[in-house]
Amino acid sequence: MRFDTVIIGGGLAGLTAGICLQKAGQDCAIVSTGQNALHFFSGSFESLEEAPARLAGIFEEAGIRLHYQPGVRLMPMGTFRPAALSLEDVDILPDPAFSRKALIVSIAGYQDFFAAFLAEGLEKQGTQCRIHFLQLPEMAQLMMSPSEMRSVQIARTMDRMWEKVVGEIKVLLQDEDTVILPQVFGLQDTTVPGRIRQAVPARVIFAGTLPPSVPGIRTQQQLKRRYEVLGGTYLAGDEVIQAHVHDGVVHSVATRNLDSHYLEARHFILATGGYFSKGLRSNPFRIYEPVFGLDVDASEDRNAWYDAAFAADQPYLKFGVRTDPGLRALRDGVAFENLYAVGSLLGATRPELGSGAGLAIRSAFQATDQILRRSAPQEDGRPAGQSGESNPSES
Amino acid sequence: MHEKEFDVIIIGGGITGAGTQRDCAMRGLRTLLIERSDIADGATGRNHGLLHSGARYAVNDPESAEECIRENRILRRIAAHCVEETEGLFITLPDDDLGYQKTFVDACRRAGIGAEIIDPEQARRLEPSVNPALIGAVKVPDGSVDPFRLCAANMVDAKQHGGQVRLHTEVTGFIREADTILGVHTRNLQTGQEEDFYAPVTVNAGGIWGHRIAGLAGVDIGMFPSKGALLVFAHRINQMVINRCRKPANADILVPGDTVCIIGTTSTRIPFEACDEVTVTPDEVNLLITEGSKLAPALSTTRILRAYAGVRPLVSADNDPSGRNISRGIVCLDHETRDGLKGLITITGGKLMTYRLMAEIATDAVCRKLSVTRACETADKPLPGSEERSYEAVARKIWEAPSMAQKAAAARMGTRAEVIRDAGREDAALVCECEEVSVGEVKNAIERMEVSTLTDLRRRTRIGMGTCQGEFCACRAAGLLARAHGCIERERADLRDFLQERWKGNLPIGWGDTLREAEYTQWIYKHVLGL
Amino acid sequence: MKAQENTVSKHNFEECMKCTVCTVYCPVLQVNPLYPGPKQAGPDGERLRLKDPFFFNYALKYCMNCKRCEVACPSGVNVADLIQSARIKYDRSAPKLRDRILASTDLMGTLARPFAPIVNGVTRLGITRTVLDATLQIDAHRTFPKYSSSSFESWLRKRQKEQAVYPEQVAYFHGCYVNYNYPQLGKDLVKVLNALGVGVQLLDQEKCCGIALITNGMTRQALRHATHNTAQLRKAALERGLRIVSTSSSCTMTLREEYPNLLGVDNADVRDFLTMATRFIYEKLEKGATLRFRPDYHKRVAYHTPCHLERLGWGIFSERLLRMIPGVEFTLLDSACCGIAGTYGFKKENYAASQAIGQALFDQIRSVNPEVVACDCETCKWQIEMSAGYPVMNPISILAEAIE
Repeated sequence: MRFDTVIIGGGLAGLTAGICLQKAGQDCAIVSTGQNALHFFSGSFESLEEAPARLAGIFEEAGIRLHYQPGVRLMPMGTFRPAALSLEDVDILPDPAFSRKALIVSIAGYQDFFAAFLAEGLEKQGTQCRIHFLQLPEMAQLMMSPSEMRSVQIARTMDRMWEKVVGEIKVLLQDEDTVILPQVFGLQDTTVPGRIRQAVPARVIFAGTLPPSVPGIRTQQQLKRRYEVLGGTYLAGDEVIQAHVHDGVVHSVATRNLDSHYLEARHFILATGGYFSKGLRSNPFRIYEPVFGLDVDASEDRNAWYDAAFAADQPYLKFGVRTDPGLRALRDGVAFENLYAVGSLLGATRPELGSGAGLAIRSAFQATDQILRRSAPQEDGRPAGQSGESNPSES
Repeated sequence: MHEKEFDVIIIGGGITGAGTQRDCAMRGLRTLLIERSDIADGATGRNHGLLHSGARYAVNDPESAEECIRENRILRRIAAHCVEETEGLFITLPDDDLGYQKTFVDACRRAGIGAEIIDPEQARRLEPSVNPALIGAVKVPDGSVDPFRLCAANMVDAKQHGGQVRLHTEVTGFIREADTILGVHTRNLQTGQEEDFYAPVTVNAGGIWGHRIAGLAGVDIGMFPSKGALLVFAHRINQMVINRCRKPANADILVPGDTVCIIGTTSTRIPFEACDEVTVTPDEVNLLITEGSKLAPALSTTRILRAYAGVRPLVSADNDPSGRNISRGIVCLDHETRDGLKGLITITGGKLMTYRLMAEIATDAVCRKLSVTRACETADKPLPGSEERSYEAVARKIWEAPSMAQKAAAARMGTRAEVIRDAGREDAALVCECEEVSVGEVKNAIERMEVSTLTDLRRRTRIGMGTCQGEFCACRAAGLLARAHGCIERERADLRDFLQERWKGNLPIGWGDTLREAEYTQWIYKHVLGL
Repeated sequence: MKAQENTVSKHNFEECMKCTVCTVYCPVLQVNPLYPGPKQAGPDGERLRLKDPFFFNYALKYCMNCKRCEVACPSGVNVADLIQSARIKYDRSAPKLRDRILASTDLMGTLARPFAPIVNGVTRLGITRTVLDATLQIDAHRTFPKYSSSSFESWLRKRQKEQAVYPEQVAYFHGCYVNYNYPQLGKDLVKVLNALGVGVQLLDQEKCCGIALITNGMTRQALRHATHNTAQLRKAALERGLRIVSTSSSCTMTLREEYPNLLGVDNADVRDFLTMATRFIYEKLEKGATLRFRPDYHKRVAYHTPCHLERLGWGIFSERLLRMIPGVEFTLLDSACCGIAGTYGFKKENYAASQAIGQALFDQIRSVNPEVVACDCETCKWQIEMSAGYPVMNPISILAEAIE
């Protein structure tokens, strides 16, 4: 099967790239080994301090509203973090001391929302807090299973009964100026968080829970749907197992499911993520990139991979694949002609692109811009960049 | 008598101390146990968890071998919910001398250990993970024992017999009058509170730290810290204990215990100053993997969960300051006869396996001093939870159709799982999904088993001991702990300590899926939860 | 390989990061609280079962084996395989008579076919369904698939000579459904393949793939079928040099994946000879073969990817084929389970769950309001026709209808 661009990895970086390219008229395939880190997304685009109109535009078209307002974010453990750009229902506050009095509402039997930690964190800022646990008979079915009082399952129920919760909050509310709720609203029905805000006569803040993240899953589903509406092909649950390279040009890749049916393309984007997503793999002897055998900026000495303090910045998290200035991936020091590395696979090798969600988005933009520029027909009729300087030889 | 006065104070909450407190308490003494950290924090919780048949010692140390097999039979009876009757194999590999097998079996028989030579084919059938190249095998009554559970059960029983327990409390000095120890000065390491306690007899059961404790009383016991490193694999690959049939050496025992299996160990002399923070080196990891894979080749391709090390409290025989004549046997020192210091007994040496016997010896010595004549009953009375022989029977007795989580609770708690029988839905919810630990079980541990930190809770319930190493359960459990002790700031620090402690064990084997898990844990706690 | 260079575990269960993403996508968990969910039933439970089979939980029977957990898993854990393997290994309860009947699709077909009009009449009667409901716990809402009075096998056997003249030949694993219930699909395939210059042959002797035997705990019988069918594939592929095509996604997944992964039947030498007919046709067209479509053909088609095709990762071939037909207005439905899962939804105890699982799909179909739903799975067809009220056609039948 032939595509303009094959994107390996269907997380934030891969989907952003896919949407950009489809919009520009390309025909793309995304190969995604299962679900991705968006399922653990905090909802805030770390290290994306400026507000890129381009991102907001792409997300808006997918039905995802962002807001930009430099400030701080209330974390689930009751701490505060600087933030600037986030999903609409993930609040950014001007100041940690934003509230005089807050009502924290949790759900009886729900262990993954840390109301007491939030209260203590807020009280340090001078906010008086009251915690209330809602007793909801609608949760009885979930609670029959000892492992299902978890964010997503609750959110499914909440999509049906959020109005009742609003009703209870209205009764509970005394003179509090703020209501804090867990992020278990608006899994399918994206309008729910906004409607809760309108209905409750106080500021409503949705605070994070243990993953899976409800806003993250919703974002993933919206981006994927948008990509598919634009005509993109999404191969879910498949994995690239081999690449066919000649003279520094990737011609096609083989996947586990499609075996001998190769995916051919003019351009390839590698967005396979970090260790968790197996974009980088490790064993006692080395850290490596498994699909193309790319150069990885990693220490050879295993002892240098770690910092003994859990809380410290871990060296292994900074390791990533090496690229040329245009994000083309390197093998043995030489850039592939048509392979771009994006997202957390880069580690901290491109510090100017930030980390986390910021890195995913900036690098996806940069790679797609390169692809589109190089795909524009040249005078000799063939796409730019096919001249090939010095390239890795056949694998 | 004042509430700070006891018949006997026991220093050290390892298995020896807990066992001694139980024995003393069962003989009617008013007991206090003081532990600097948590129960089973030292060597007790940092070994294989092997229920020795004694076979390992049969050739070189027949006395230990005989003690082991006797205690082995007793523990199966009194500590059923801590013991798994797995049986064990001593295998001969092509590199080993098959001639040793006969020496070994003869020695076992002399010690009263049932040792049966089986042919390699049968060994492969009995234990499919065993190195298929084996040329000989002997079956022995080895098993596995959960040291945390065993220690906790002793503590719980001691408390039921009126014993008092002070954990996270350090002995800072002895209260002494002339040549007599009258009691101890202590400081609570969590609150800083200082207290004095009095008793006519104090038992030093501090393991390797017993050396320093004795030093506080001005007496010297010639101890030699010996570090042993072990690896925990992420799931069981073997159902029987696998040993090498040769002179004991490094990494030649693979023990299945609960949901994991453990390879060990090494033996390195270390200085006393290093005992508080032992770490596992890359060389030790390599050695354990290489040697372990000879017992069971699957180890070379099985995910490793963590690495840890313990310090053996070896004692040199008196009058041998060189330490060459080191004993692994039980050492009970009456400092009155040995050093002219009244009111202090040290019980040390020995092994997890013989803790009950050590406790009996120490308690006998205490009773002699106090002129108490009541006989020891610890060999006959089952520990709390062990009134029933199999967890299967326990689970079926408590619940008509037990769920997986209820079965797991019965396997951990034995008959004490009774307390969570009628758990409502909120209490039936799982805190730890890897090891199937419910809210009810956590609450029970917090209320009844002297838990003040997440690490304490881990030792009581196996929370955080599973595949995810606490990634998901730690913060849930922290919520429950915070509710119990009412201090969020302390709990946040506790959570950090817990994650640090887990990372310490992951780091030496931080590759493959374990590194993936570590990255995920970093992500959750730093970026999602904002700890 | 050096020690610890790669770590492996059965069905990759140690790769599980405990992220719980599988539980988000499990259709059963959303409707049945008695099911422990894929993570607990799969990798979590496996560690305990390795300690002691006592930890096996009979609630694992609620798993539909739709394999959506495997598609969702970021770590490549074969969660459903773990669950089904555990059932095979540890479930000692004897299958109920009802389950034996439901699972024995080929035996039932052989017995029922000669009496098809009577059987069809009887099974459609309200009284029969009430009796089945009460005695066998087969839900009364279910209609049994009709039996055809002549089998597809006998139809094709009569045409062996005319098929043999085509320059290229394939063997067809038709499965029980085409043989006993709906020979028309087989005939449609023959028409399309013939149009591409490909003749269709039968395997010497085909048995039911056995998927229902596996899920109903009849492992010994399933193993017999697997061994037999694998030998048949081997004969066709290695002796007769044929590729084998199928029109059923579940048969294909069973023959290719479940045989080695669940039943331990090694099919590595022939696995890749077996393919879905849609993939075979797509690949022919991609290589330059052409089909002549009717210029007047017009149809609004909504395509539903069956769970097992989703797991195979081959939905794309059906999708692309349908999109290729001039006159087809194509909608791709969100990938979601319809709830039937073979015999699962026939069981009285699963009926409500089965309907609840499919609800989102039924709703979407109604809102799209196509003329026909396209789908490569026969049991999805029954469920969608019954519950959404739209006709369902295999993509091959739509192709057959659209060509000249």
